[in-house]
Amino acid sequence: MKDYQLAWRNLWRNKRRTLITAASVFFAVFFALVMRSFQLGTYEKMYRDVIESYSGYLQLQHVDYMDESNLDNSFIIDSSVINRIENDQNVTAVIPKLESFALAAAGSRTQAVMVIGMDPEKEVKGLNIRNRLVRYRLTPEAVESLKAETLPGRTGKMLDLFVNESFTDEAGLISILGIDRSDTLEVLPLFRKHAIFENSYLTAADSGFVVIGNGLSEYLHAGVGDTLVLMGQGYHGVSAAGLYVVKGIVSMPQPEINNRFVYLTLNDAQHLYAAPGMVTSAIISVWETDDDALLMTRDRLGHVSGDALAIRTWKEMNALLLNQMEADNIGGAIMIGILYLVIAFGVFGTVLMMMAERRREFGMLVAIGMQKGKLAKVVSMEMLLIGLLGVAAGVAGSLPIVFLGYAKPLRFTGEMAKMYEDYGFEPVMPMLLPDTYYLWQVVIVLLILFIAIAFSVRKVFKMNVINALRA
Amino acid sequence: MITSIAWKNVWRNKTRSLTVIAAVTVGVFAGVFTMAAINSSIVQRIDTAVNEELAHIQVNNKEFRSSSDIQNFIQDPEAVFNTLEKTPGVTDITGRVIVRGIASTSAGSAGVEITGIDIEKELEMFTLSERLIPGTGSYFGSDTKLNSAFIGEKLAKELYIIRYILTPEAFLSLETIGVPAEVINKLKPLEGERFTTEKKLTGAYAALLSGKEIKDYGMNIKEAAWSYREGSRIILSLLDVNGHQTGAAFRISGIFRTNNDLFEAMSLFVPEDELRTLTGLEEGQYHRVIARLEEDDLTNKVTPVVREALPGLEVLSWKEIQTDLAMVTDYINQIYAIFMIIILAALAFGIVNTMLMSVLERTRELGMLSAIGMNRRRVFTMIMLESIFLSIVGGFAGMAVSAVVIAITGHTGINLVKYAEGMEAFGYSAHLYPTIGADFFIMLTVMIVITGILSAIYPARKALQLNPVEALKGD
Amino acid sequence: MKVVEINDVSKTYHDTEVEVRAVNGVTLSFEKGEFAVIVGPSGSGKTTLLNLIGGLDQPTGGEIIVAGHRLSELRPSELIDFRMEHVGFVFQSYNLIPVLTASENVCFIMNLQKWPKEKRRVRTDEMLASVGLSDRHNSRPSQLSGGQQQRVAVARALAPRPEFILADEPTANLDSKSAESLLDIMEKLNREEQMTFIFSTHDVRVMKRARRVITLEDGRVVSDERTNHSS
Repeated sequence: MKDYQLAWRNLWRNKRRTLITAASVFFAVFFALVMRSFQLGTYEKMYRDVIESYSGYLQLQHVDYMDESNLDNSFIIDSSVINRIENDQNVTAVIPKLESFALAAAGSRTQAVMVIGMDPEKEVKGLNIRNRLVRYRLTPEAVESLKAETLPGRTGKMLDLFVNESFTDEAGLISILGIDRSDTLEVLPLFRKHAIFENSYLTAADSGFVVIGNGLSEYLHAGVGDTLVLMGQGYHGVSAAGLYVVKGIVSMPQPEINNRFVYLTLNDAQHLYAAPGMVTSAIISVWETDDDALLMTRDRLGHVSGDALAIRTWKEMNALLLNQMEADNIGGAIMIGILYLVIAFGVFGTVLMMMAERRREFGMLVAIGMQKGKLAKVVSMEMLLIGLLGVAAGVAGSLPIVFLGYAKPLRFTGEMAKMYEDYGFEPVMPMLLPDTYYLWQVVIVLLILFIAIAFSVRKVFKMNVINALRA
Repeated sequence: MITSIAWKNVWRNKTRSLTVIAAVTVGVFAGVFTMAAINSSIVQRIDTAVNEELAHIQVNNKEFRSSSDIQNFIQDPEAVFNTLEKTPGVTDITGRVIVRGIASTSAGSAGVEITGIDIEKELEMFTLSERLIPGTGSYFGSDTKLNSAFIGEKLAKELYIIRYILTPEAFLSLETIGVPAEVINKLKPLEGERFTTEKKLTGAYAALLSGKEIKDYGMNIKEAAWSYREGSRIILSLLDVNGHQTGAAFRISGIFRTNNDLFEAMSLFVPEDELRTLTGLEEGQYHRVIARLEEDDLTNKVTPVVREALPGLEVLSWKEIQTDLAMVTDYINQIYAIFMIIILAALAFGIVNTMLMSVLERTRELGMLSAIGMNRRRVFTMIMLESIFLSIVGGFAGMAVSAVVIAITGHTGINLVKYAEGMEAFGYSAHLYPTIGADFFIMLTVMIVITGILSAIYPARKALQLNPVEALKGD
Repeated sequence: MKVVEINDVSKTYHDTEVEVRAVNGVTLSFEKGEFAVIVGPSGSGKTTLLNLIGGLDQPTGGEIIVAGHRLSELRPSELIDFRMEHVGFVFQSYNLIPVLTASENVCFIMNLQKWPKEKRRVRTDEMLASVGLSDRHNSRPSQLSGGQQQRVAVARALAPRPEFILADEPTANLDSKSAESLLDIMEKLNREEQMTFIFSTHDVRVMKRARRVITLEDGRVVSDERTNHSS
């Protein structure tokens, strides 16, 4: 009989103990994986939101712009530079951008804002602002008219909860209001009839128009068609001021962007800041977005940027966000650490019991001529099998949940969604597909097993056969 | 008597019981201590929010927060002051003039919230003045004809008021704190050079020093080189009460450093009168009236009372303003409970396993007890108690260790500044003083006992299934 | 006065496919104060019969009446209480609760029966004295020899004054000297306390002392002899 067969049969001799121990490993692995997936998925979404609505994956900037983000560190970009970058195999588009501060005023209300100038037709190639245009708004009037129609179940109540809320897509509207899938076809036309929000996006030819964040619009009481005054400091300290009409309203992902977002064409921005032909950065959109591909692209483009300019990755540009997530991440890691610590004790306890209980059996095996080395090998295999059984079950159990959570992110509806939004969070809990964090669980469990195995092997070699037989 | 047998049974196999007890001890300790550490940053965050940023209750014009229009001041501030004075629990009251604007220097500009304050009154109500960075001036200390402003470090950095210069004095201070002469000599080439950002400074000395030297003395060098232009001036631009753009130069009176980056980056305090002159707001017109209470815990009680008394105005507690903090404080007990439940669930596996072993190896003995007339309820109780003892002994040991460690670290503090830059961006201090309420220990004790009971159910049922006839079988 | 009445009792086990008749139509009765042994080869049904008398097992046929209780009418939980109230057990081994001292073990059943504390103490002292272990009150079972452990078991079984004592091979694990002294004690208690003893055994030493020897073979009583040797 092969060693592993002996080990396997031994395992099932005490089925209950094997199963409970494997179950404890399963519990830790399963829980750790699902929790990690949620946590990392949330970060991933946050990163993606910022990248797609603001920073892009790569940017060409003045060398000093990262440290001193002002107009003095802007530069002139010409089509030859753009062409050279766009020729790179991984680059899909280059979007010149001029960004600065201004004080926005509508009537006597003011707010400090970030002014972003881009070519709206080029911008859609790298960013995803256009899809954030508000399409439905539950104004009090809209809610009234909707309630006059026949609505399913609790929808009427939900409408009261979400008065004045804006939605960028029908899917979000349906899910947040908690409308059943079966009712969707009936309800959607009603929303299209009563709650549609009339606004439009910038075009390249627009002049004197802006698209602003939903939060800023509420704050300044500036709706579509209202006039906004932008005042600030232009290139080389020239004072800058201009009048713009609000053309569209977008719902940006993070409050700090949403409350300060003013978007106009690059030409208008250059005119406002008296910086003709100048940009503060150029967003480089790419095919391959993983870290390695980004770094390789950056290195390949080194000859274009030269010494005066630099290419920054989204990680460099969003260092603060990454830091915040890192701090949050530590909390999750500690939690999982404690969990595994506790499980390690459980596994160790099992080993201890097993060794005590089978002392006589081990004594007998050695007495009839089994080498201690071989015995230690069998015992090690048993433990390895228990651990791997737990890990395999944990991984297998988590996969359906993680895949489902990725394909169809958990969305809160109704009161729960309202609470999340009131606290300033999007009511979605996305998950991250299996990644290196899966591998880590295996490594941790193997480490725990290694300690347990070391202990039992030592016990086997230190065993006195005569005493063991008498036990 | 069943209790005493159960207790003695726990100690029959010392190694096995101690392993489980140690697991419970370590698990409970790790859980409690982690929570005390998290709790510490929340308590500090609340402390900061209340003592430096918000006070307990704010009264605003209904429109003010949704749009900080300068015209949205409180119509009858007298009445607000009177009402607050009469409300039990309120200790201090002051009014604020708040205007949005842009602060700029020749090098940079940033959006700010300009708050005009009663300097003397706010000194009593808030501890922000204690957050002054030494060497940057004072909290409106000097008499000067120029307008003066008290601003956050983060804002100062954005405006490039703070720079890094290795002056001869800086070298001297490095020497006094014990930086080796060798390192100081290496830095000599940088003497007098100005660095506009921290990064430029670190970049410059990184080229001169070894990795270990940077690790050991980097912080010291940064601190020594940190300097700001004495009496720096900034330009504030804003809209006055008539909607006209206006502005004025302000001298920096002092710079404060808090744990809240956002607050530091946004806040700029000026004397109330100067802001009135600049904006044309009349004496007695306030955008916001704030009040402090005797205790934080009174917030939920007093806020509705004030709200009732001032129907035309927006009355908010600090919890309602800092919703993220409110979520944390409102749900923290549930979060702690879930956290502990997960740990205890993991521990339960160990207890179940141990108890099961213990029951199965006592087949004969349990059979004998049943044969001589110990009924099922008693056998069940005995196994249950054994399991509860295991969890309670471990649990109490864990809580005792936690209490001691929390008491020590709560006194000395844990410094995570090196590891958690991101925490301060959220407004949470990276300097922790672990603390946790006594009610948490009570809740935890209950949870531990429940863990013991739940883990015993399966083994105890197994014990009941044993056949008493087994006891009569010979060897 | 009859302590135990057994009327045409049978016990059949269904062991996988084979039907085993462990006890087959046994009719017996025991009087108060008897000192009886049940003997027979392995598998003759001694232990099964003893289990049936002690209420550890239910017969598949016939009836057992102990102290007025028809055992077949009792529910399992009532059976446990019945054992506590009326039957004393001495097993071959694993008799004592390992975590309790000798006196605590003797006291255990009286405790379950809720005797007043003082009475319990007096009876415990008395019983330990009569089994000759007055000096071992506070010894744990692991500190006692096999013979001493069995003597404590006898003291425990007898202490609450049950109707009778069932002893299943009580001497099987003992050396001659310990066995003899255990039997001396049991005979003495039989005499002094008028306690009924029912043994099952292989041991010739026990048979020699018995005043009634019941022989079982294949689940049937093949002989039931009363000897009148003096004791």
